[in-house]
Amino acid sequence: MTVILMLVKIFLFPGLLFTLLVSLWLAGIDRRLVARMQRRVGPPLLQPWYDYLKCCGKETIIPRKANKRVFLAAPLLGLASVLVTAMLLPVGGISVFSGLTGAADLVVILYLLTFASVTLIVGAAASGSPFAGVGLSREMVAMISYELPFVLVILAVGRAAGQGLNEISQILLGAEGMGVTFSLADIAAYQQLTGLPLIARLSLIPAAIAMLFVIPCEVGQQPLDIDEAETEICEGVLAEYSGRPLARFKLMHLIKMYVMSGLFVAMFLHIETGILVLNVLIYLVLCTLVTFVSMTVPHAIMARLKVEQVFKFYWTFVTALALISLILVWCGV
Amino acid sequence: MENLPILSIMALFMGAFLNSLVGRRSRAAGNAVVLIAMGAAFCMMAALVPAVFFGGQTICYWLGGWAPDGGWAYGIGLEVDALSLFFGLIVTIAVLVSGIYSFTYMKEDDSQVNFYTLFLMLSGSVLGLVLSGDLFNVFVMVEIMTFSAVALTAFRNEYEGALEGAFKYLVVGSIGSTCILVGTILVYANLHTLNMAQIAALAPANMNMTMVAAFAFLFVGFATKAFLFPFQPLAADAHAVAPASISLMISGVLTKCGVYGIIRLCYGLFQNMDERSVGYLVTGFGMVTMFICVTMAFNQHNFKRLLAFHSISQVGYVITAIGAGTAMGLSAGLFHAVNHTLFKGLLFLVAGAVQHQSGSLDLDDLGGLSKNMPRTTVLFLIGAASISGLPPFNGFASKWMIYQALFEKAAQSGDFFYVLACLTALITSVLTLASFIKVAQSVFFGQRRAKYAQVKESPLGMRLPMWVLAALCALLGIFYRAFAAGFLNPAAGAALGVDAYIANALTGESVLTEPVSYWAIGSWNPLVWLILLVLATCAVALVSVTNKPRVREACAEGSVSQSAESVVPVTMDGVPAGGSASESVPPEEAKYEPFFSGEESEYSQVGGSDLFWGFKENCRKYFAFWHKWHSGVVNDYALYAVVCLAAVLLYCAAFVK
Amino acid sequence: MSFVQNMIDDAMSKSLWLFHVNAGSCNGCDIEIVATLTPRFDAERLGCKLCGSPRQADIILVSGPITLQSRDRLIRTLAQVPEPYCVVSVGSCPCSGNVFKGSYAVCGPLDKYCHVDVSVAGCAAKPEAIVAGIAQAAAILKEKRKKMVRR
Repeated sequence: MTVILMLVKIFLFPGLLFTLLVSLWLAGIDRRLVARMQRRVGPPLLQPWYDYLKCCGKETIIPRKANKRVFLAAPLLGLASVLVTAMLLPVGGISVFSGLTGAADLVVILYLLTFASVTLIVGAAASGSPFAGVGLSREMVAMISYELPFVLVILAVGRAAGQGLNEISQILLGAEGMGVTFSLADIAAYQQLTGLPLIARLSLIPAAIAMLFVIPCEVGQQPLDIDEAETEICEGVLAEYSGRPLARFKLMHLIKMYVMSGLFVAMFLHIETGILVLNVLIYLVLCTLVTFVSMTVPHAIMARLKVEQVFKFYWTFVTALALISLILVWCGV
Repeated sequence: MENLPILSIMALFMGAFLNSLVGRRSRAAGNAVVLIAMGAAFCMMAALVPAVFFGGQTICYWLGGWAPDGGWAYGIGLEVDALSLFFGLIVTIAVLVSGIYSFTYMKEDDSQVNFYTLFLMLSGSVLGLVLSGDLFNVFVMVEIMTFSAVALTAFRNEYEGALEGAFKYLVVGSIGSTCILVGTILVYANLHTLNMAQIAALAPANMNMTMVAAFAFLFVGFATKAFLFPFQPLAADAHAVAPASISLMISGVLTKCGVYGIIRLCYGLFQNMDERSVGYLVTGFGMVTMFICVTMAFNQHNFKRLLAFHSISQVGYVITAIGAGTAMGLSAGLFHAVNHTLFKGLLFLVAGAVQHQSGSLDLDDLGGLSKNMPRTTVLFLIGAASISGLPPFNGFASKWMIYQALFEKAAQSGDFFYVLACLTALITSVLTLASFIKVAQSVFFGQRRAKYAQVKESPLGMRLPMWVLAALCALLGIFYRAFAAGFLNPAAGAALGVDAYIANALTGESVLTEPVSYWAIGSWNPLVWLILLVLATCAVALVSVTNKPRVREACAEGSVSQSAESVVPVTMDGVPAGGSASESVPPEEAKYEPFFSGEESEYSQVGGSDLFWGFKENCRKYFAFWHKWHSGVVNDYALYAVVCLAAVLLYCAAFVK
Repeated sequence: MSFVQNMIDDAMSKSLWLFHVNAGSCNGCDIEIVATLTPRFDAERLGCKLCGSPRQADIILVSGPITLQSRDRLIRTLAQVPEPYCVVSVGSCPCSGNVFKGSYAVCGPLDKYCHVDVSVAGCAAKPEAIVAGIAQAAAILKEKRKKMVRR
């Protein structure tokens, strides 16, 4: 019975199928909203799904200068790894793994997202194209750029939730905890116990804003898609990809969108009621909201940044926001 | 049992002696001697594992039977607790791997007898250092170690800069050794003993200004041996020119001596790790080291120089974790120490293989070797993933523990300093990744110059040791909990259980040490993750199976290949179009060429120093400063050493009680 | 598994990634191509998207009379597109050479080098016409995909 339940959790809800559906929904609504903001009709809601299917149906060309095995394995591994990362998110209070045996914490999620980016980079490197070379260099610089504020946000949230849990456990159990936590389950539990999402805490608002900036850069969404800038470097990292491997990388991109939105919701906006369906609905609405604020709006109103601008922006402005938050939290505000 | 430590050291030194006797006649016999010596040392270390790690015993051996009398240790002793044995195991494994690799790697060199003799001397001295229970013996072993390492660095003196690198190492290494000697003298003058257990028993009660100075001297001495911050240029110069197997020894084994020394110094001899100032000193050194070295690696054009900077950067992680002073910090630091030996060793061996096969280490010149050396590429990717801390490899597990330890320490002590340490560690990790992406793109992927078209896969004799290291990287990463329970926690427990160390040595009773235990603030279960990953990969692959790839019918009309081939491009006047008409494009060929915006594809490699422009451009002042700082002049480096010593002395005098 | 195949065939006509080759165009048609993507004509309704590499393209838009300089580049680029794909010529130049016909530097028309699926005439071609051409090409793409055989 437990095995069947586990399999259902892994493959249906909140595992693979749910992830896929939510990702497609978010990506579709994102493209449509961008179009509406520009007063266009926009593509149908299922457009990302069509794109995926279409890519699957095309011929796969493996360039002569590519390392075939790495070239083909990278998208498969990347897609699988983001799918697994998505399973680590608590969806409306339930996740594939729960409790102390939880498979991974925030730091691990950070590294798993890095892992996905690395598959993209390695795949690009293996394709032997100079455009991909430029693209992977940009992707890496983007990664360095957002990692610093991302880490600061994780530390701030971890401290805030840990401290809060400490106080709660002192009242309830009379025992002290660690005072900090990296566990996403703990952070969600804290928000559920207090009934207030962490974003309601004044000191964490800068961190939340910083995180909203981190999301599009991590995902590689439009104003920050410097690594696959199609007008400058011919799709950059994806320059040589066609057919099914391309479809996988595109799907990976969509799922990353969901993972980052879901991560934001779990970290800052976790709301739980008693009813599962309502929880999931709230979760979906919040995910869509986060996607809209962090990805759709910048996409619709901004032109693509240059790579050195990205680096400068993230290591000054966004980092400063996150750092302020961390210091405030550390001082107990 | 008690004899095993001394026998393992003897085995290596006797091997050195026998090798120089036998090896001149026949290289095969010499190699056999070397192999037996290394294997014997390893087996003897491994034989001690059950008693020391699982039983918690501490094994003392007194040379010449001069056991302590009346609470005073007169004789020279070897004292093997779990911490010593932990480093002993690291050393012997690294020696074994490096030696086996050398058999193939050094085949073409002349005077191999001298090489293996020096190699075994180096191995023996390092093993002696970590097993020794006597501070002066530590100094003696440091001297043997430094000089044999200097000689080995310059072994291939036909390389440009080999003698120079060795000379720098000699000068600054001697300054380090002198610091250790001075520290030892000061300790002896104060406490009238050289036995480490006895020093540990007496030092905390007898702290005065001289003892503080001794601490500072010893700390700087060991920092030199670990190539911490102001000393890292030496490592870079030495690594770049040394044979790959010696680079493995320098990075995987010699730096570990410095780490071991600092652990023993702060936890064992002076037991002042609880002091906030000492924690700041150690963690500060680690932080600065890991960050500066990782950024310096960005600027390197030489594969092995780049690896050298990373090597020191990773040692910075170890030192930072040790500086946290908690059980988890120590455990994490030890874990990263062993991981550092494994993945850094693997990467140095890969660099050696690349150099051996292609004859170059220039990142701006190489490229596309993954087609020639697919297996070596896989090995490199495993090593790179490990060092950049990608799950599920060992580097991730230990870094993850380090972050937790630092963040916990920060919460417990309320020090924002440790939050910064945690932050630096996390950022260093992504910068490490960036460097290895650079190596992957510039050496193994990307495009290949014509002159490297004939490069062959590295021979099995070189790949085998690499596979051993790669397998250990993966296993330790996946089963890190078992490893922590079996090895790390006892070793950390031994380092923290100083009373047992003292009692074992001085009273002769057998006092057992307890492994440490700690709580994690997060969770990481590599097995679950792996199973999920396999499931997800299968699911993704299954979806694809339902959709077999299709091709266009061969006879389909209007395909590009048909119509374009039949075309003879002419102008309207019937004249063949242009002088370039001869370079007509065969479309079937062009289809598989990389996309070049329609141009004919040509050699165009984005690699080496061209990568990461956006980052370097923004930080150019920072890079320019450090570029200038690494002047390459040995006078400067000696000056840095002296300034560093002065600064640490002042700091200790002011803040350490 | 014909169900999946049908879905893919359907998707073929709903997701059209364009790659634009300028074979010596005067920039008139190029501007009109960009205009089709603007809010007024919004080709994204049909699932269109400009992409930067022929490896990902479904429809190749060719504008210009195929000059000597661009000929080899055009042939190479067309060769690098994965099957199935459509070639749409935009403007009169690729069809006939237009006013450049007879020049020593022009080696058009386009159908000397490849099969042209849809020709959009006009100097410059109107955005409405281009959208209509793309829509026709979409239907052709679906047919092409259906005709492809399993390996």
